[in-house]
Amino acid sequence: MFQMQSLIFLNLVLILFLSACDPVKKSTLSTSPENSYKAPAWNSPFLKDFEKALFRTSLDVADKHLTGISIIKRTSDSSFHFTFANEIGMTYFDMEIFRNKYKPDYIFDPINKKSFLKILQRDFAILFFSESPGKQPLRKYLQKGSGEVVYLYLGLKLYAWMDTKQNTLTGLVGWSNYVDAVIVSFKEYDHGFPNEIRIVNPKIKMILTFNFLGH
Amino acid sequence: MKTAESLILVTILQCLCMVVQVQAQTKPLSPADALEVRKRISDASKTTGSLEAQFTQTKELSVIKEKIVSKGNFYFKKEKLLRWEYTEPFPYLIIFNNDKIFVKDEDKENHISLQSNKVFREVNNILIGAVQGTLLSDTKNFECNISDLHDQYLASMVPVNLRIKETLSEIILYFNKTDYTVDKFVMREVSGDYTRIEFSGKKINQNVPDAKFNIP
Repeated sequence: MFQMQSLIFLNLVLILFLSACDPVKKSTLSTSPENSYKAPAWNSPFLKDFEKALFRTSLDVADKHLTGISIIKRTSDSSFHFTFANEIGMTYFDMEIFRNKYKPDYIFDPINKKSFLKILQRDFAILFFSESPGKQPLRKYLQKGSGEVVYLYLGLKLYAWMDTKQNTLTGLVGWSNYVDAVIVSFKEYDHGFPNEIRIVNPKIKMILTFNFLGH
Repeated sequence: MKTAESLILVTILQCLCMVVQVQAQTKPLSPADALEVRKRISDASKTTGSLEAQFTQTKELSVIKEKIVSKGNFYFKKEKLLRWEYTEPFPYLIIFNNDKIFVKDEDKENHISLQSNKVFREVNNILIGAVQGTLLSDTKNFECNISDLHDQYLASMVPVNLRIKETLSEIILYFNKTDYTVDKFVMREVSGDYTRIEFSGKKINQNVPDAKFNIP
């Protein structure tokens, strides 16, 4: 009996701790009136049939503003290749991204910092590999204003925004602690793929924007 | 075992064929001929007051075997006025006007001073030097070898400057044998990727308005 109480207490502490780290402002959301939170299946636009895409790309981080063209190519079930070069053709990034690691082929020296690349890898992992888990979400909200449905998967430390009319994924927020969050938004879907993808990492003040150019 | 030996033999033969092919394409110039070609390129550069052309830029990505192709218009006017106007896959503009650089993408304009930005200064020197052919005499930063390639002369520029060496392993300039202007140039990066810029529809010494190089 005592063990059971301890377990409940531990779970409660864990939920409180995870909730305390939650980067999403609850004042922007309203609680869904439903009692059960059945979420439809969803996945990142980079999963399923994605092979490769060309983007107009800009990266703002610290005092740097880098622009150019990038290619994201799926190289296996568990990896993507990301190459970003400026307009004249000089490479900034050339790296393989996995769920939990990255393999740099070439990184432009002024941005070749291990800590930055690790954060970038984690942000990309959320962008590339996120999909609805087997478990149902812990909470369901409605985004004030837009009416998008928001699912909270607390165990995964992930929020997913859905436009239920179009049945498209419009946003993701993932975090490991309060100061380490990443906000991904998908805008203007056309033939199942967003025209704009934006990754914002408030911790390092990074904004990475992809504007779709073609497959 | 026999299969392994055969494979090795075939691989060696293939390598030999490739070497022979490359050698057949380019013929190194004798020191006297190289000097003569340098002089002609230098003379052409002296008489080229302006140049206008279209360009096609192809970036070859070695790891994923993909290409990125961009196109646009190019304008040069002596001494240090350069306008790279990308039209595809999206509009993008770079103007080099003496010591200033102006960059305009869709929604942002950026002014850069060459004096305060070493990287852009080197890019500027390389681009203007490549277009004018003056890069050949930049012995402080490059080691140059000229060879004959059918209807073009090929100048291989290997950086000796450590800072340039960090990014570029080689720049190859292709000079037209008729007018000694640059037909194309290739920038090989240390990553193994390379960017090829090819000019077409060249107009030499036509009236390029100064307004093309105005920085707002």
